[in-house]
Amino acid sequence: MKSSLQSLLQPLIAIVAGLLVGAIAIVIVDGNIVETYREMWNGAFGNFYFFTSTLARATPIILVGLGASLAFKAGFFNMGSEGQMVLGALTAAITAVYIPGPGWFKAIAAIIAAMIVAGLWSALAGWLDSRFGMNLLITTLLLNYIASLFAGYMVAYPFKDSTTNSALSQTQMIDKSVFFPKLFSGMTLHIGFVIAIVATIGLFLFIKYTKKGYEIRMLGGNPLFASYGGVSRGRLMVASMLISGAFAGLAGASDVLGTSYRYLDGSLVAANYAWTGIMATLLANSNPIGTAIAALFLAALQTGGMGMERNTDVPLEVSSIIQAVLILFITAKFTMSFIKRKKAGAKDGSTN
Amino acid sequence: MLLEMDSITKSYGSVTANHNVNFNLRKGEVHALIGENGAGKTTLMRILYGMERPTSGEIRINGKAVAFHDPTDAIGQNIGMVHQHFMLFPAFTIAENIVIGREPTKGLKFDRKTAMEETLNLSEQYGMPVNPKQKVADCSLGMQQRVEILKVLYQGAEIIILDEPTGVLTPIEVKELLISIKKLAASGKSFIIISHKLSEIMEVADRITVLRDGHITGTVNATDTNEEELSKMMVGRELVKLERRKLEYGDPVIDVQSLSIKGAKAKPLLDNINFNVREGEIVGIAGISGNGQSELLQAISGLIPYDQGTITIQGMNVTGASVKQIRESGLAHIPEDRYLWGVSKDATVSDNGIMGHLESTSKYGILQGKLIRNLVSEWVQRFGIKTGSLSTKAQYLSGGNLQKLIVARELAKETPFLIAAEPTRGVDVGAMEIIHGELLKRRDEKAGILLVSSELTEIMKLSDRILVMYEGKIAGELDATVATEEQISLLMAGGKAVG
Amino acid sequence: MDQLIDVSLFAAALRMITPILLAALGGAICARVGLFNVGLEGLILVGAFSAILGNYLTGSITMAILFAIGCSLLFALLFAYMSINLQSNVIVVGIAINFLAAGLTTFALRAIFNVKGAYYDKDMQGLPKIDIPLIKDIPWLGDVISGQSILVYVSIIIVILLQIYLYKTVSGFRLLAAGENPTAARSIGLPVRKIQYLAVLLCGALCGLAGAQLSLGNVTMFTEGMTSGRGFIALVATMLGQSNPIGVAGASVLFGFMEALSYRLQNFSIPSNLSAMLPFVVTIIAMIFFKNNGYKDDAKKSNGSSR
Repeated sequence: MKSSLQSLLQPLIAIVAGLLVGAIAIVIVDGNIVETYREMWNGAFGNFYFFTSTLARATPIILVGLGASLAFKAGFFNMGSEGQMVLGALTAAITAVYIPGPGWFKAIAAIIAAMIVAGLWSALAGWLDSRFGMNLLITTLLLNYIASLFAGYMVAYPFKDSTTNSALSQTQMIDKSVFFPKLFSGMTLHIGFVIAIVATIGLFLFIKYTKKGYEIRMLGGNPLFASYGGVSRGRLMVASMLISGAFAGLAGASDVLGTSYRYLDGSLVAANYAWTGIMATLLANSNPIGTAIAALFLAALQTGGMGMERNTDVPLEVSSIIQAVLILFITAKFTMSFIKRKKAGAKDGSTN
Repeated sequence: MLLEMDSITKSYGSVTANHNVNFNLRKGEVHALIGENGAGKTTLMRILYGMERPTSGEIRINGKAVAFHDPTDAIGQNIGMVHQHFMLFPAFTIAENIVIGREPTKGLKFDRKTAMEETLNLSEQYGMPVNPKQKVADCSLGMQQRVEILKVLYQGAEIIILDEPTGVLTPIEVKELLISIKKLAASGKSFIIISHKLSEIMEVADRITVLRDGHITGTVNATDTNEEELSKMMVGRELVKLERRKLEYGDPVIDVQSLSIKGAKAKPLLDNINFNVREGEIVGIAGISGNGQSELLQAISGLIPYDQGTITIQGMNVTGASVKQIRESGLAHIPEDRYLWGVSKDATVSDNGIMGHLESTSKYGILQGKLIRNLVSEWVQRFGIKTGSLSTKAQYLSGGNLQKLIVARELAKETPFLIAAEPTRGVDVGAMEIIHGELLKRRDEKAGILLVSSELTEIMKLSDRILVMYEGKIAGELDATVATEEQISLLMAGGKAVG
Repeated sequence: MDQLIDVSLFAAALRMITPILLAALGGAICARVGLFNVGLEGLILVGAFSAILGNYLTGSITMAILFAIGCSLLFALLFAYMSINLQSNVIVVGIAINFLAAGLTTFALRAIFNVKGAYYDKDMQGLPKIDIPLIKDIPWLGDVISGQSILVYVSIIIVILLQIYLYKTVSGFRLLAAGENPTAARSIGLPVRKIQYLAVLLCGALCGLAGAQLSLGNVTMFTEGMTSGRGFIALVATMLGQSNPIGVAGASVLFGFMEALSYRLQNFSIPSNLSAMLPFVVTIIAMIFFKNNGYKDDAKKSNGSSR
């Protein structure tokens, strides 16, 4: 009982701290704290349109977060979600534009292709670690840049949109018949959100109750114990990275088919979906359901920030600061038991 | 009286490690502190060395009260400690390891040349030859211990604490160490030796203090006592003698042929190993840790690859097979380091319990909570595993209870072949008896067990056949019913078997 | 037609090596005390922004550099406190520092300069170029080495100083000891925690310099996210150089040169996106040359007994 209270206390302290630092930032730019936070709330949840927009924004964040949580649970620091998402989005856009067939077929093909490409990009890093011992954290980070640059090249040259006079590096817009249906007419929220929720529940059940989920958890907890028990680290690593990347690819496809209707160079990076997704899973300690909730919260901070920007003089970057402070506080194992431990003196007698 | 520890009590919350302990030391004396695992010996010495603070009590040196806040204070009072797990820097040279903390300098520069000279002088002065330029990582364990002792002498120690000094030494190195200790004591240094090796203690100590469950059960002169008396003071009761039935041995459950691992150093890790274990037989592998036992077990269970050789389990060739395949061919494994291989600390007791039992606790790939609960709670009952609940995280269990869980888990598979590596390490006497009983029961049920232990008494108590490993080879094979400790020790040290 | 390989390529390379080198040295010091600092990227970014800010506020280059060091030091202090005192997972803290740096610099860009994306003041002075007498007259070599910003030369000096410090002084020796075996170090009374703090702060200072070179060393401006992965490349340089100052310098030279080459390739009708990939691809390939058995070691550290 005590530990579950503590595990609730930690995020709460973090949120309070975040809002406090945000308040300081607001004061620095000569804003009014109460008014600013009110506009922030309105921007996120103020009316039905904003509320559904927040959910729509949360959709790719949830999906990336789920992918990251799977990798982290297995003990792999997959930092490559951004590159994987970008490649997924690019693939989805190209597939949707060029593959023949009825709308629903194009959509499904786009999703599958996106998940495969993104999954393989992620599995590549997993394979490099398994085969060559290359540090996964770093390779996934470096691969992000390569992926973004490659996608940028693709939409600047071979797949550039020639149907409009725009000089933008982007693909052609996908056909209307491929659009993800909206959940409510006139709102931006589309079926991708439902997919995200289903995926959340599915991943939670998978990790907690299945044999493979158990193997993944043990691998993340103590890889030597997992090997000792017969779990094949190399294969499971590549498989986890593959699925993790596939989630990111699904996030990219969801954006293309549900929101942007094309791939535009740099748009996904600018929106920061992937890194927010990683932040969400770190906040939730890689728990899938917690990740979804954290993703919703972070999305609200972002849409709230936009509302804040529209209606006050406070820049929306204040919400970025709040988010980063949150992370810092969550990573601090700042619980009561820790403080108690400090008072009793470290077990090995050392205070240094 | 050089050192007095007066009414020392140390509590960690509700657990008391030392209870009103009185301990003193004369100049030039070798005073042994003995007791079972968890008796409180190491805690008491950590207090003396400033790594812990006593909950109550006083320490006096030459009559003057002192209080230590950290090891630097203790070192300042000329107390030096050689820890059970060496506190050395493998990448540095012997000279660097000895002078660290009091490095000779030339201006701002670390004068390594003088450090080498001072090291040579020191080693000559105390009769413990070392090569100052050698990297500690390349030194034998006996040499490393010598470095540790020279280190505390360099720091000016007059009181030297040795914590389980002979655990990792060959019998020859043990003899050299005891001689060094006696020489140093004769020259005025005082020693406190923590040990549970009674024969060695009897040879070198002047006085012996016995701890049991945090209390002193006696302080005697070595000349006034013997090993049996000390044993009784340590354990407090007669140990139950286990009955062993003489059985017919069946077919080999495992057959190892020409197993070799080259490794990175000059000497191979495993050198042409050949042996088997039959049904209804316990084969014990004796030897000082580090002579290839770990590699042998890891090779058999599939955790590391080997360069040469074939392994057959139950007639099935498992050479080069995966861990999973090997387990499926009929192997269970109690690992030698439970925290490293045997559990995941953050996982619950049930999670740790079902590793290897996934088939019997799941249906269509989904774990079945009820089956898991039934399985693990039965073990908790039978082995007396003290845990809050099945959802308690493994890190909160004591070492002994964790070991019981691991043993229960591996035994429950009822495999024809079982590896038991250091099965009772860090476990209290009661649990040890339970585990030994269960191992013998499996043997009676016609399983073949490969027992690896650095405790000779355990090997001799349980084995039917004894193999001795030395430097990656099987140095000798003995029939357990007639083997003597002397024969085994000789083989362990690299000597040749006689007769 | 422009030549691919000429004097100006090497001169540019030297300029681009410097931020990576400085940050990699910082990473090496952290690694030597047992802290794997993924936050180099964020620390450099903070340094880059603070250098511009300091320059803007005081108009003095010296103050700008000091300000950059100071701000990076603050962030490094945060990293140190969370990893050392609060015992948080060092990787997560590093990632958090990167997030914080990105958020704060973007916010400050808006709040202080009231611009989005980048800040550029055409009248702002960058790092002065220094012509070294005698050297500058050497044909070819002189044009490469002389005329660089002061931080380029400072970084070379720092490599030598660090090499001497670690392997010749007592203090450096104890720092290595603290990372090699912290338990043993504590047992002889070394203040391991203090040593770790100092190491992280030194890393912060170095990253501050790296950032200053980045934003003041060529075109005097700050762009959002301008570190563009250099902090991670620096980390690879640290690992490739085995946390040894000379080795790290060698690796940094390689990666910095690749960066310069990638810009030069754009003049040869290779699309900028593709040529920009060069440093990252080369970095990944370089990683083949040091195996990371990290997971085994990490598992042993966090799970094993002290054997």
